[in-house]
Amino acid sequence: MRVVVAEDSALFREGLVRLLTEAGCDVVAAVADGDALLAAATTLNPDLVIADIRMPPDMESDGARAAAAIRARRPEIPVLLLSQHIELRHCLDLIGTPGFGYLLKDRVLRLDEFVDAISRVAAGGSALDPEIVQALVRSRSASVLAGLTEREQEILGVVAEGHSNAAIAKRFGLSERTVEAHMRSVFTKLGLRDDGSIHRRVTAVVAYLESRARR
Amino acid sequence: MRVHPPTARLLTASATLLVAVSAAVNLMTETPSLAALSAAGVFAVVIGWVIVVRLPDSPVGPALAWCSGSVGLVDSFDATAAGALGEAGAAFVARFGEGIWPVNLLGLLALLLVFPDGRQRGRLWTAAPVVFATGAVLVFLGLGTGDEPAGAPLALVLAGLPLVGLGLILAVASVFVRYRRSSELQRLQLRWLLLAGSVVAVLLVGGWVAEVGGAPLWAAYSPFIFGIVVLVPLAIGIAIVRHDLFDIDRILSDGAAWVLTLVASAAVFAAAVFGVGQILHRYTAIGSTAAAFLTALVLLPIHRFVRDRLARVIDRDRFVAVKAVEEFAAQVRAGRRQPEEVEAVLRDAQGDPGLSLLLADGDRWVDLDGEYADDQEGVTLAGGSDPLARVVLTHVSARARRRAAALAHAAWVPIEVSRLRLSLRRSNERLVHASAAERRRLERDLHDGAQQRILATGMRLRSLQRGLVGEQAAEVEAAVTELEETVRELRRLAHGVRPSRLDDGLAPALEHVRAATPLPVHLAVDDLPALDDTRALTAYLVVTEAVTNVLKHARASRIDVTVRARGERLAVQVRDDGVGGAPGEGSLTALRDRVTSVGGTLTVTSPLGRGTDIEAVL
Repeated sequence: MRVVVAEDSALFREGLVRLLTEAGCDVVAAVADGDALLAAATTLNPDLVIADIRMPPDMESDGARAAAAIRARRPEIPVLLLSQHIELRHCLDLIGTPGFGYLLKDRVLRLDEFVDAISRVAAGGSALDPEIVQALVRSRSASVLAGLTEREQEILGVVAEGHSNAAIAKRFGLSERTVEAHMRSVFTKLGLRDDGSIHRRVTAVVAYLESRARR
Repeated sequence: MRVHPPTARLLTASATLLVAVSAAVNLMTETPSLAALSAAGVFAVVIGWVIVVRLPDSPVGPALAWCSGSVGLVDSFDATAAGALGEAGAAFVARFGEGIWPVNLLGLLALLLVFPDGRQRGRLWTAAPVVFATGAVLVFLGLGTGDEPAGAPLALVLAGLPLVGLGLILAVASVFVRYRRSSELQRLQLRWLLLAGSVVAVLLVGGWVAEVGGAPLWAAYSPFIFGIVVLVPLAIGIAIVRHDLFDIDRILSDGAAWVLTLVASAAVFAAAVFGVGQILHRYTAIGSTAAAFLTALVLLPIHRFVRDRLARVIDRDRFVAVKAVEEFAAQVRAGRRQPEEVEAVLRDAQGDPGLSLLLADGDRWVDLDGEYADDQEGVTLAGGSDPLARVVLTHVSARARRRAAALAHAAWVPIEVSRLRLSLRRSNERLVHASAAERRRLERDLHDGAQQRILATGMRLRSLQRGLVGEQAAEVEAAVTELEETVRELRRLAHGVRPSRLDDGLAPALEHVRAATPLPVHLAVDDLPALDDTRALTAYLVVTEAVTNVLKHARASRIDVTVRARGERLAVQVRDDGVGGAPGEGSLTALRDRVTSVGGTLTVTSPLGRGTDIEAVL
């Protein structure tokens, strides 16, 4: 997998490049700001872009802006954003779109999960940090989710993170059929359409949560 | 009434010529004292010319010049009659010259009628010149046609004289009527004439006293003559050209006050001397000494009393304005009014709605809201050598500036208190802004510095872990887990320093508060205008602090949080249905300090048993 890494902290960048290389990725470029990222992504055509949200020159949202620009010019390039803490405002538009992920930086230390997340994103799927999903879930009024059972709420969150039914079943120690049943129940209660595809589920759930978050 | 400038110049020139002729004629007839008097008349002519040059269409210049010119005309007549131009003409001129003296008053009459701006107020006063002229003609005919002042000519004179007098009286009365119907400016100008007239009257009385006291005639009356020929034209000149130069109200009021004080203390002295003499049946040094002592004792109180009373009458505007400001200052001291109202009070007192008050802030000026203002011209109030405040006027004149200076001086305390309060508030604001910026920097340092390095170290450990097995691998795993915990810890710390949720705006940050609160929180946030960091942080902290208080003390079952935009302001309200009776101090004090330091207000309503309502307006 050919990866472009954008991160202004040299320490973190080098560490990330090393981890990715050891995990079998081919890091074709490691840059330190948004403009260089946009240039590298459009010329090198990588399989995945991993970018820090906060980068020079403005130290606010350069990474997120570059990601949006990449998405506009090359929609087929998957993008994974990293940040120190949750900043939803810069990337609300990208959340829930195919081939997009957003993780807290400390997730890279959970190597297996991180590699799983980048492969999901690279494959056109989704990977959202549990905290981001929580932020989305929290920001909607409690009564709407009150109709869901506790287990259903848990499953809803994990779906939003971008995991497959199999992964969900494994995590909760359930059979895939049980997970399926829960999913149908959740979708019925929320009034969402479910055609069984993981990606569309993620999109539907995230769009649902996000539409509440924006109110 | 305006006159054509060429006419004004012609009239003034003819008066000048007459004065010159009379001086020359008097010199030829070797009557130097009269010549000197004529020469003194030059003064009125000169000032007449000054007015003609400065205000070419004003009738006052020619009228003033003719005050001397008409005297010069009569003077030349008299001199001619006395034989200055030879015997032949003398008899003829002498015959007609008998009745020409009312002409002396022609210039004065004109001046009384046209001063200060030539406008007539009241139809009756147009009668004054007609009456005067009729009288003058009758007198002229009566005295100039008969060889003997008897029969018909005498009747003419007897009919003419009262008319001449009536004309003059009407003219003088017209001045008073005009004063009552005039604008402030004309009144100011008329007061100059009043001042000169009073001085002349005082000098005349002085002359009588001196004459009775045995002074030679010329010495007794020369101050009076000087007053007529110099002071009156001078006062008229100032009134027309530079009425604003001196504070006529103060001069009049203070001058009159001193004259009255002198008269009163002289009366006291005389009464004391007389009284002591009556008691002791003789006049002794003791009597005079006691009288002097008594007079010295009462002099100042009398003067103060007289000055205040006169100021109230003569200098009424200024007196009332200063009183109003002093009254306001007293109310500020008593705590009944806010010192910041001083600008409005000054506007009222000054009668200048556009007046603005600037306060000194180091080298710059700020208005009462603390906004920087341009360095504008104005009346500066100084405390010691440092400027305190500046009053900027929209109607600028020397008089307005003097008035503003007096008012600002009366308002010194409220102005200084406003300035100090403002500078305190501004420095508080600066501190809060600085601390908000500092929090932000600290949070960023944590995120971009420490956290990144810990993560980098963690990644190195992960790399290292690849080559390890068994116990060592487990050891590294434990170390990495430890680092992950540390990063989470740091994130929480940074969040406490300044909630990075605020990066997404106040509403999302409050959503998090709601989500993290174990009680049902009903949150209503309006569409808010863009908030600066300080206000957003303050609003956020008000909510978190208030919610924490509710959880700790209120035993409430629900909390209502509303955030509304009220014009420029932001209203944050936290209401619960708990036990109420929140104490005024403790964490509420800290909250109030925080809110007031950014120029906001905090209201707490907490009746026992009926919940607590905290509202901050930022």
